[in-house]
Amino acid sequence: MAFIQGLFKTSVARKNIMAVTGLFTVFFLIIHLVGNLILIIPDSFFPIEFWSNVANQHDMYNAYSHFLVHFWPISVVAWILYIGLAIHVIDALLITVKNWKAHGEKYVKIDNSTSNWYSRNMGILGTIIGIFIVIHMGQFWLKYKVLGTEHDLYELVVGTFKQTWVLVLYLIGIISLGFHLAHGILSAHRSLGIYPKSIMNVMKYIGLCLAILMAVLYGIIPLIIYFQ
Amino acid sequence: MKITLKIWRQDGPKSKGKLETFQLNEVEQDMSFLEMLDMLNESLAVKGERSVEFDHDCREGICGQCSLVINGQAHGPESHYTTCQTHMRSFKDGDTIFIEPFRAKAFPVIRDLKVNRDSFDTIIQAGGYISALTGNAPEANNIPIHHNISESAFDSAACIGCGACVATCKNSSAALFVSAKISHLAKLPQGQVERKERIEYMITAHDEEGFGSCTHTGACAMVCPQEVQLLDIARMNYEFNRALCKAT
Repeated sequence: MAFIQGLFKTSVARKNIMAVTGLFTVFFLIIHLVGNLILIIPDSFFPIEFWSNVANQHDMYNAYSHFLVHFWPISVVAWILYIGLAIHVIDALLITVKNWKAHGEKYVKIDNSTSNWYSRNMGILGTIIGIFIVIHMGQFWLKYKVLGTEHDLYELVVGTFKQTWVLVLYLIGIISLGFHLAHGILSAHRSLGIYPKSIMNVMKYIGLCLAILMAVLYGIIPLIIYFQ
Repeated sequence: MKITLKIWRQDGPKSKGKLETFQLNEVEQDMSFLEMLDMLNESLAVKGERSVEFDHDCREGICGQCSLVINGQAHGPESHYTTCQTHMRSFKDGDTIFIEPFRAKAFPVIRDLKVNRDSFDTIIQAGGYISALTGNAPEANNIPIHHNISESAFDSAACIGCGACVATCKNSSAALFVSAKISHLAKLPQGQVERKERIEYMITAHDEEGFGSCTHTGACAMVCPQEVQLLDIARMNYEFNRALCKAT
């Protein structure tokens, strides 16, 4: 019983929480990416016949964002995501503080060739991503969904991405995300206890490919809009 | 070979330490790293100075007693070696070598390069064993075990408990050490009876001893002299979650 009570204090359980919340966010990121790829569909693809009122990219993107805001099951998932992300951040802070305490005096000379730099700096990458998410939500989610001051999301997105500082900020955030995922996806599976060698050998490449794919596809959206 | 040594000197667990520089001019390539330190200590003894204290025992790479972080790497520059099996041919004439103790809150420095690794014993005492009646060894063929499983269990059992994994880990986690014992016993029929309690007690002991949590950087497995696999940590996490499902 003491084990169950102390469950969420153990180092392994805390990593489980990181893994579950992290993987749920990856699932969201894939959906979020697919939706936003509308922004880079070339004009020659329009009009698309299968959906009414899709005469151009502008209409399609606004119809998509309208659907997201007004379809209630999406709001439920969104709230799970917000809570999940908050837990991910709080848990990461708790783990980091404990790990700092576990460390003795610093080495005078340290050779880090035995591990990747991004696997050692998940906290720093996570902090950059965290700052990015706050700015990103302030730019779109707050104005469009919460305050309702902007009604044409397509215009808002394109207008925002035309600014150079926004482009630079997004590229920094997205590259950080890529490296965070390059370690995070495989690490999460290990934390959850998936140990068969055959699965983990494949998972190593799936995790890396997914991270690269996400970084590249998320990265080209603001780049294409900026240079259009 | 001429070698400059920068060695961590610390009088006791609570005193402040610092690097001290020594010069050795007649080091031979065939010397082991520890023989080179013996040579230094002999020269210090002649001068009437306090010798540099370091851990060692079998000097055959099997007891897990030697430690040292050499030029920032636990057990030195050769991969999957112990310090005692490292030789001076791994270094060049004129090199400067930094020698520091294994560093972690759970491994307090006793003196100079010697550290107290009792926390590992505490973890093993918490559950890293099977309870069996003493007496004559049972007939070996009574419990059939597939060759692959016994080999895999032996790979995990090979851990010599040196603590290089903790010394290398940026979080000072002993996950590789704990997981080696958990995996070893979870794979074998003899380990099944206490499987659930073992993981609960050992993880609790690991945390109570002040080790950090594993972030899977993989650095531990890169320096492990016995090449304990990183997948053992995943196996340990599986055992933890399995115990959790059985508990609720």
